[in-house]
Amino acid sequence: MSTVTHSPDTTDTELSRLDRLREQHGDRAAILAVAGGALLLVSGLLSWSYDNRILDDVSVRFYPLGIQLYAMLLGIVALALGVLLFRRPQWLNPGRGLRAVGWGSVVFALAGIIAVAYQAGGLINVNEGGWVGLAGAVLVLAGGLLSPHVDLDVRTWPRLPSWAEILVIVVMLGLLLFATAYTLNVDDPATFGCLLITLLAVAIGLVGSGFGEYLGFIGQNNRRPLLLAAFLVAFLFPFTQDGSDANMSIATQILIFAATALGLNIVVGLAGLLDLGYIAFLGTGAYVGAMLSKSAFATIGWNPPFLVVMLLGMLVASIFGLIIGSPTLRVSGDYLAIVTLGFGEIFRLAMFNLDGNNGPDLTNGPNGIPGIPDLNFFGFDFGQTHTVAGIPLGRFSNYYFLLLLLIAFVILVFTRLNDSRIGRGWVAIREDERAAEAMGVNVFGLKLLAFAVGASLAGLAGTIKAHQDTSVTPDQYIFLESAFLLAAVVLGGMGTVAGVLVGATVLKLLPEKARIVNDYRLLIFGLLLVVMMRFRPEGLVASKRRQLEFHEDDEELAEIVQSEHLEEAK
Amino acid sequence: MELAQQLVNGLTLGSLYALIAVGYTVVYGIIQLINFAHGEIFMVGAFGALSTALLFFRSYVDGGEMLPFWALPVLIVGAVAASVAIAVLMERIAYRPLRNAPRLAPLITAIGISVFLQEAVRLLYGKIPSFPDAKQKVPFPQIEVVSGPAFNLGGVTLQRSTIFTVGALVICAAGLFYFVSRTKTGRAMQAVSQDPDTARLMGINVDRIIVVAFVIGATLAAVAGIAQGLQVTNINFKMGFLAGLKAFTAAVLGGIGNVWGAVIGGLTLGLVEALAVQFIPGTFGGSPWKDVWAFALLILVLVFRPQGLLGAKVVDRA
Repeated sequence: MSTVTHSPDTTDTELSRLDRLREQHGDRAAILAVAGGALLLVSGLLSWSYDNRILDDVSVRFYPLGIQLYAMLLGIVALALGVLLFRRPQWLNPGRGLRAVGWGSVVFALAGIIAVAYQAGGLINVNEGGWVGLAGAVLVLAGGLLSPHVDLDVRTWPRLPSWAEILVIVVMLGLLLFATAYTLNVDDPATFGCLLITLLAVAIGLVGSGFGEYLGFIGQNNRRPLLLAAFLVAFLFPFTQDGSDANMSIATQILIFAATALGLNIVVGLAGLLDLGYIAFLGTGAYVGAMLSKSAFATIGWNPPFLVVMLLGMLVASIFGLIIGSPTLRVSGDYLAIVTLGFGEIFRLAMFNLDGNNGPDLTNGPNGIPGIPDLNFFGFDFGQTHTVAGIPLGRFSNYYFLLLLLIAFVILVFTRLNDSRIGRGWVAIREDERAAEAMGVNVFGLKLLAFAVGASLAGLAGTIKAHQDTSVTPDQYIFLESAFLLAAVVLGGMGTVAGVLVGATVLKLLPEKARIVNDYRLLIFGLLLVVMMRFRPEGLVASKRRQLEFHEDDEELAEIVQSEHLEEAK
Repeated sequence: MELAQQLVNGLTLGSLYALIAVGYTVVYGIIQLINFAHGEIFMVGAFGALSTALLFFRSYVDGGEMLPFWALPVLIVGAVAASVAIAVLMERIAYRPLRNAPRLAPLITAIGISVFLQEAVRLLYGKIPSFPDAKQKVPFPQIEVVSGPAFNLGGVTLQRSTIFTVGALVICAAGLFYFVSRTKTGRAMQAVSQDPDTARLMGINVDRIIVVAFVIGATLAAVAGIAQGLQVTNINFKMGFLAGLKAFTAAVLGGIGNVWGAVIGGLTLGLVEALAVQFIPGTFGGSPWKDVWAFALLILVLVFRPQGLLGAKVVDRA
């Protein structure tokens, strides 16, 4: 017991030691940060490795490539934050950002040095650039740790004319597109890892210093331009790929996954009903799509136009959703989670079994339905490569555009429902079912609606997925996939659109690009869920309101949420 | 005769479910947490027994011989040690910090732990020097007396592992009965499950009781792990998922939170499954559909009698 009672004291003294250092050397923090940033910038111009075969050649001086460029990027961000630290604005906290960038730079420099040393066989192969970079990173970190604490005053956010705000949004999204296209084309795993560290450090640094909130504020003021610009950027993405299908294939998978996860987000994030068998609805759509397709293995000899198939997929999935949702009247919480899990397993087993030997032949059993032909809309063949403005767009690009429409539709449904009376009813049910019922919310009807809407969106995505994958098999719809969907929702932030998009992208992209971690991805995934629930249960991108539900005793947050509500009411 | 044979099969399966189900039910009874990772504790127990056999009875294992009967208690100790260690760590690191979190959080944590433990065994077990790779099925050592040729009682085949499983359930249930109703800790457990706050005021260390609940569940799951290994003669990293799900079904069937309910529910579920294989006519019968019937039973019970066969009314709690 004695250790327990003593530990707070020791952390107290440590804290005060850092505070004392801060008081004494606080004014030097900015100098340290600027110096560190400059060193990082310079290290990008120096050679990092003696051997030019490592990390896509970082041995050349004054011609930055790969991680040399990333070091320069970190340097520029640190410099900018350091300069801002001199100015001490009221609405920014450059110190916090510097701390994040500092930690990130240290990890980045160490990772770079270790990668060079490991691949070339010894620290001796690390050239001066690596060491200069490490020194710069340590200086930035020191500057970040020493910089004074700032109480942000959000009322002093500078207001720009609205065209300038829209310009900021477009530029940010353009940068995002550029970063995505660049990241996807990095093939060397170590370089890719360093790039991820860099991007993460920059992102956390910007968000930590208050830029994130400012951008969110701008985005809030210009919702429509933001959405339009986001879709424009997403629409332009295939044109950056030069007709290569490798990344487009990943992108289509991400879109299907994200669309399904958004559907799940209605059930889990908005209505607060935990569904552990959600993948079954995607499967329902996919099987409907496959059985009604022109595949030689399709078991139903009826090929309606694809629009009808989509509607049927939605319909069948939502009927399943209603069936599985009906117990919600009687069971709730954990029990509901298990009912849905059982349902998911029943779906998979049924698809596995219905091969003619056990029950009627509907699904070809374990072999599934292969050979599903590509879609064809009014003569537009999705299997063909089309050339637009000199840039070839392959098969996956075609599906990508279709899926983009799908996801736009899903986001539209999600946000309209969320902002409506129905959405408020869901929030009420999620927060306190009995109180909601007492206030006249139709609890049962709204819960069923959540299941039906969520399921129908997944079913819709499934019909497209069947054609894009060209085959449907039962082993695509195992429990683990449901867990992945749930993880995308939880990781990104329950009840938000942006969060789920981020979560889905991270979960699908990482295993594809970082092949080293591929074998360990499930292990990391499991650990990630545990750590997230422990330290940030509201997800990466959380709505303030949702955050409050997870941190009920945070008075400050409660006040912010209340003032936001008042603002909305005006 | 067929009916008798299916009853024996159902009883074997049911005893296994019951042993695992107790773990769900004791933990749920005290902190209303579905410890979704409990199936993995069962799997870890089986691997613990295998590791013990590899460490202490290597020559038998390599020679393909049966282990002597006195190895059984050693294996049980090894299995229990592994399961209990993992369960206690899990409670301490992952669940305890979430004691007052919204209900969704611990459930998601449990899924995370479940995936993590499966993958840890799959990827890392073979990395331990001289241990077999666990990415596929691993043969489980067989032990004299409890494995070997089956008995034949008037046309009904009675496997030796069946006798071990049913016997283990009887012994464990008796021990549990004694523990819960006669010892001080057991009665403290009852008190905490009825009202944690009042129990705390009466001087009961609730945190300790929660750990005890995890330990009890892990112990029984470890025994079940050995029983499964003896029955199927091999184990794999995935064995905990389906078994855990079935055992949870059993716990709900019997009335979750009620220890005797878990035993009765386990036996009922095992019998229903065995009889469904035999007696559901047409193409929807047979073993491909038995899991479907088990889950259908789960859903029906949850919808029409969420308190289970023996349970108190817990609808609002869930």
